[in-house]
Amino acid sequence: MTTSLINSRSSQHADAAYLHVPFCVHRCGYCDFTLISGRDELIDVYLEALEIELSSLQSPRPMQTLFLGGGTPSHLSLSQLSRLFDLLDHWLPTTSESEFSLEANPLDLSWEKLDLFAARGVNRISLGVQTFNDDLLKVLERDHSGTQALEAIQRTRSFVDNLSIDLIFGVPGQSLDLWQQTLDLAIAAQPLHISTYGLTIEKGTSFWIRREKGMLSPLTPELEREMYGRVMDCLSAAKFEQYELSNFARPGFACRHNIGYWTGRSFYGFGPGAAQYLDGCRELNHRSVTHWLKRVQSGRSPISERESLNDEDRARELAVLNLRQIAGIDCCEFEERTGFDVHLLAGETITRFLRRGWLEATDSHVRLTREGRFVADTIVAEFL
Amino acid sequence: MNPQFIRNFSIIAHIDHGKSTLADQLLLKTGAITQREFKEQILDDLDVERERGITVKARTVAIPYQQDGIKYELNLIDTPGHVDFHYEVSRSLAACEGALLVVDAFQGVQAQTVANAYAAINNDLVIIPVLNKIDLPVVRIDEVLEEVESILGLDISDVLKVSAKKGIGIEEVFRAIVAKIPPPKGKPEEPLRALVFDSKYDGYRGVLTYVRVMDGTIRKGQKIRFLKAKIDVDVIDMGQFRPHMTACEELGPGQVGYLVTGQKELGLVHVGDTVANPQQLPSAPLPGYQVPQQMVFCGMYPIEATDFEKLREELQKLSMNDASFSFIAETSEALGFGFRCGFLGMLHMEIVQQRLEKEFEIDLIQTAPNVTYEILTRNDEVLVIDNPQRVPDSGQIKEFREPIVRVNFILATEAIGPIMQLCAERRGIYKSTEYLGPKRAQLVYELPLAEVIYDMYDKLKSITRGYGTMDYEIIGFSPADLVKMDILVKGNRVDALSTIVHRSNSDRRGRALAKRLKEEISKHQFEIAIQAAIGAKIIARETISALRKNVTAKCYGGDITRKRKLWAKQKEGKKRMKQFGEVEIPQKAFLSVLDANKDD
Ligand SMILES: Nc1nc2c(ncn2[C@@H]2O[C@H](COP(=O)(O)OP(=O)(O)OP(=O)(O)O)[C@@H](O)[C@H]2O)c(=O)[nH]1
Ligand code: SF4
Ligand SMILES: [Mg+2]
Repeated sequence: MTTSLINSRSSQHADAAYLHVPFCVHRCGYCDFTLISGRDELIDVYLEALEIELSSLQSPRPMQTLFLGGGTPSHLSLSQLSRLFDLLDHWLPTTSESEFSLEANPLDLSWEKLDLFAARGVNRISLGVQTFNDDLLKVLERDHSGTQALEAIQRTRSFVDNLSIDLIFGVPGQSLDLWQQTLDLAIAAQPLHISTYGLTIEKGTSFWIRREKGMLSPLTPELEREMYGRVMDCLSAAKFEQYELSNFARPGFACRHNIGYWTGRSFYGFGPGAAQYLDGCRELNHRSVTHWLKRVQSGRSPISERESLNDEDRARELAVLNLRQIAGIDCCEFEERTGFDVHLLAGETITRFLRRGWLEATDSHVRLTREGRFVADTIVAEFL
Repeated sequence: MNPQFIRNFSIIAHIDHGKSTLADQLLLKTGAITQREFKEQILDDLDVERERGITVKARTVAIPYQQDGIKYELNLIDTPGHVDFHYEVSRSLAACEGALLVVDAFQGVQAQTVANAYAAINNDLVIIPVLNKIDLPVVRIDEVLEEVESILGLDISDVLKVSAKKGIGIEEVFRAIVAKIPPPKGKPEEPLRALVFDSKYDGYRGVLTYVRVMDGTIRKGQKIRFLKAKIDVDVIDMGQFRPHMTACEELGPGQVGYLVTGQKELGLVHVGDTVANPQQLPSAPLPGYQVPQQMVFCGMYPIEATDFEKLREELQKLSMNDASFSFIAETSEALGFGFRCGFLGMLHMEIVQQRLEKEFEIDLIQTAPNVTYEILTRNDEVLVIDNPQRVPDSGQIKEFREPIVRVNFILATEAIGPIMQLCAERRGIYKSTEYLGPKRAQLVYELPLAEVIYDMYDKLKSITRGYGTMDYEIIGFSPADLVKMDILVKGNRVDALSTIVHRSNSDRRGRALAKRLKEEISKHQFEIAIQAAIGAKIIARETISALRKNVTAKCYGGDITRKRKLWAKQKEGKKRMKQFGEVEIPQKAFLSVLDANKDD
């Protein structure tokens, strides 16, 4: 093994990690994540490479939070999953105190898999539901029905309490009523956590191409705004606390791992396209699965981009990430972490947005108002 | 140096006919520059010149040249061809006894060939016509010769045929220069008179004055007087351009060089001034130059108010090196403190702006350019208006006048129809047509300058597929039905967006402008009405809807870098914003006035 693979990981210690599992049955129309579909024969090779990549840690690192994302981690077979868990037990061990999340698709959640997840320490499952409306599921090119999603939720709950469901709004053809129906069903299903994402049409997706050809008409910003407003109203009425622009949880069930991203915590990243953040340096693995595979197998570093910001830029980035959280920027903590007083760093911007009613400031915090959340990008850009 | 062996000449031509390339050859063949130092159009050393591949500044070089055992000094001036820089040409011509008139062997006589040839004739210079680019696969040598003879009235019996690019026929050029161009007339022992034809500010040495000695001799260390500026200074250092600055001890009649006088103050010495010896004053100063006439004006405002003084200083430095642009301080409600700057044309304006931003690193907001108008008030006062904001209330206006130019088009006969139509649309008055040969003609029109200056050149190029050319000169002002059109953004008049338009065009331009502004101004949290108005009458309206939603749903570990870059870019686009009331208006919006004019 060359030294290049034993990179910053071996010298740095983090107690959080993200591991990317880049396999799906097929690619959904809106999805631009790092993944390959219909190439399940690569899974075993992937696991081998993952073992090599993990071993660059040189010694096991106990985890406070561990997140298996994708792609679809639940898509792996029982034996492949077992092997993955073995690797994790060794290199990234978790305890019952840790948060161990796994992303899953409804159709994968058989009793056997759920049993295995629970047995191997997974204590949080994030389920890709998107919507309960079958017509819209087809538009999104999902492979399950609304009913199947509801069944999966029920099954999951008998193994893992901490269940989160992902929902998408702003789907072409979606009305405010349809969105309300999905929200009602989601609330009724009683998960402990809900993430809601406004659909964005990214370059390179089939949605993008179809929109370019005029075959897909996105919703008006007006309607998208109402949908987002609806989420905030309904979920807070149902006793979910919004803690980030897209994330809502019952008290005590906010995702600790994700909060780590927004508070500037260090974390490891493994697998294609995964990012890690160690000692102020962010590194990004190759996004191409095969590229990542080849590099790791040949003992080379899978990292394709590395970025180390200067103190000020790092502070600005943290301000942005903090702001996307509902609690906003804790000014004292911010100064402690970065050495910058946020009011000196972005005083003019803050004043301007306070005046507009997009930000609010207390003695200790600067945060988005409800109105500000609708235009968060416009606001945060000014902090950079 | 004995003036007998000095020759001073300018190289003049229509744009791109090969002046700078010919200068390259003259430098190379005499060894003034070595093959190693050589790069194409070596005299074009400003960034803007290299970027655009055109000459902007006239450039002087002293070339040592030997012929039949006799040593000569050739003082060459490479001039720009673009119409906006004609003032550079006329200044150069006043420092010479002859001119090489370069004509492209395919394109033939073009509008600036005519304008520059006449300028040389008016200066009583000996003109040596040079047919260039004879290496091109298609040339029209006989026809072009006929054009040179019939249009310019020049003798074509021994026209030189060269390829500046391939270095063909260059020896003959040297021989013609020596044989035909008279040596300077001045005598070394006469009282000193040297013409200041350019100047420049140098960070180390202060003001550099570029002179051509007419009579007498300047010596290093002596005291000199600028007759117009009425100041005496010492010549601390002096030299020639060879083409790099090369120190020398003295300059005699005909010689060209620079003087270092240690001055740090800007704006004291002007081109056209006469340098003399205070101990031995001449009977009269040199005639100097006509003040150039600025054609377009625009406001330039620093984005950062604190840059105002810096901007003034840089404008001053720049104007030392470019006598043809003017600036005076002005204020705008919308943009704060800035300057109203005058230029010879649009390219000139662009270049000054580019130099300010690139060389001097000042971020600017530039308002849309306009021409100068005259207003006769009810009190029979004549106001000169170079800024639409200064137009008085319509009640006070007796007559609104606009500048008129005589435009000289040279084009292929089949383009006459479309160009006549274009001129008619633009309120032109037809003057004459003259056939220059079976296929080419010269068309003369009188047009309002405002209809010509912004985009007539582009229109001409597209109608004639690049082969038509034009030249124009101001002939006076005439009354027209002009109005000031204001722009209101969310109910507030933005003074820097006001324009002067012809009433017959006002509705169309108002609509076009409101539409452009709608595209340029980004959404705010409230609705923004954009209105075009003449007096109190609204003639066009657009609405920018409120920003309702702009939020990225996902920003997890792997997204952060990409998203941050995206947001940073979004902010970059907003760097040049001015807050006006509650509305932020980007720099580009101020120029959209211009685009709206072009859109129709
Ligand atoms: N084929 C050919 N091309 C030439 C010749 N002389 C100049 N050119 C080309 O013509 C173009 C313009 O040449 P320049 O020397 O920059 O012309 P210019 O007259 O100095 O142009 P301005 O200073 O902008 O008015 C360049 O691309 C030259 O390479 C020639 O003899 N033959
Ligand atoms: S299942 Fe998820 S990761 Fe896989 S293609 Fe669909 S959206 Fe993308
Ligand atoms: Mg040139």
